[in-house]
Amino acid sequence: MQLMKERISVLLLLVVIPVFILQMAFRPGNTASKIELGRRLFFDPILSGDSTVSCASCHKEQFAFADTSAVSIGVHGRKGKRNTPTIMNILLGRKFFFWDGRAASLEEQALKPIEDPSEMNLPLGQAIARLRKNEQYRNDFQNVFHQLPDTANLAAAIAAFERTLETSNSSFDEWKFSDNPAAVTDDVKRGFELFNGKAKCVRCHFGADFTTQEFRNIGLFDGRKLNDSGRSAITKNREDLGKFMTPTLRNIEMTAPYMHNGMFSTLDEVIEFYNDTRKLVYNPINRDTILSQPLGLNAREKAELKAFLLSLTDKRFK
Amino acid sequence: MIRIFFLLTVVLTTVSEHSILGRWESRSAAGNTTGVVFKEDQSFEAYVNRKPFTTGKYYMRGDTLHFNDTGCDGSEGIYKTNFFADGDSLYWVAIADTCTERRNGMQRLRMGRVKSGTNRK
Repeated sequence: MQLMKERISVLLLLVVIPVFILQMAFRPGNTASKIELGRRLFFDPILSGDSTVSCASCHKEQFAFADTSAVSIGVHGRKGKRNTPTIMNILLGRKFFFWDGRAASLEEQALKPIEDPSEMNLPLGQAIARLRKNEQYRNDFQNVFHQLPDTANLAAAIAAFERTLETSNSSFDEWKFSDNPAAVTDDVKRGFELFNGKAKCVRCHFGADFTTQEFRNIGLFDGRKLNDSGRSAITKNREDLGKFMTPTLRNIEMTAPYMHNGMFSTLDEVIEFYNDTRKLVYNPINRDTILSQPLGLNAREKAELKAFLLSLTDKRFK
Repeated sequence: MIRIFFLLTVVLTTVSEHSILGRWESRSAAGNTTGVVFKEDQSFEAYVNRKPFTTGKYYMRGDTLHFNDTGCDGSEGIYKTNFFADGDSLYWVAIADTCTERRNGMQRLRMGRVKSGTNRK
């Protein structure tokens, strides 16, 4: 009798375990299908008012999910007021999104451009109605979320896709993580020393994604020609005047033009600016004290710093 | 003299029992892998999810780790190293570190030695 019971138990286990594994693998809502759904939504212009603009129209994959235009261009050619930041490498410890940090989660971030009149210009209610009318999406949302499309699962799907956009295979990574000094040139190594030393870049661009994820005023706000007040428009705090989120430097080679307003076309211009910010903006308001003195980099050092920055390009873009 | 020699032998044996050299990793609840490689030339490389995080110099005095890195304005951190699981795991307790963020990060870590041939995250 005891033996029989044991045999039945073993048989049950042999049946139950594979069934459980199969159920888990094909369970609706599993991460893989959520990511795939998010990817499709990201590239689909269905989420814009006139069905011509998708998230990918500004976050171009071949440019590290950033844009080549100084400011974003939305429906009917409407110009936004800021440069499209890359959405790659946002997984680690991000607390704020957008240049001014107006979204506190990736899900919140994912929805804002859809309804922004200068971007995709589609009220969320209409976006959801469109997705519900679309048979393919209706089925896909049912499969993934067991629900019809709504704002929460739309955001969840797009955010799930965006979380996959991590890169960690640059020549710099190979040098440091894989301990292969031959992966980079001597210029890159000297550039990295400058980055951490004389050029003071590390003070704001520290960490695995080369950003402390803080808001900083780098001297590009003078209240006149340069009048984007940045973070302070969100916090209503004067101390935040002209502050913007410090961007990642990973894949920076691919994400020109630079700065919140896209005013620099090349990395050379960026380095030149930081070397002495006063040359470009005479009366900055609330500029960070880190930049109050010129860096004093010579031509050779600037080239080395640039070589280091170029070493941060992931091999998928080579 | 014999007593000093005996004491020195005991101390050295204890100190050299577990080595910090090599690769150590820790996986967070969120699924991120933090790692550090302590090299023989007294440099170290730290990373998160294969992304280099910071780099610096270190030395051990007994079980005390002294180091500085590219963050925290180059300030030194001093930590007691506690080995466990036959020296294959460790955690640190701050002795002196004025850098709050680093101190918080270090005190959360429980790291395991990555043996050669093991897949790294």
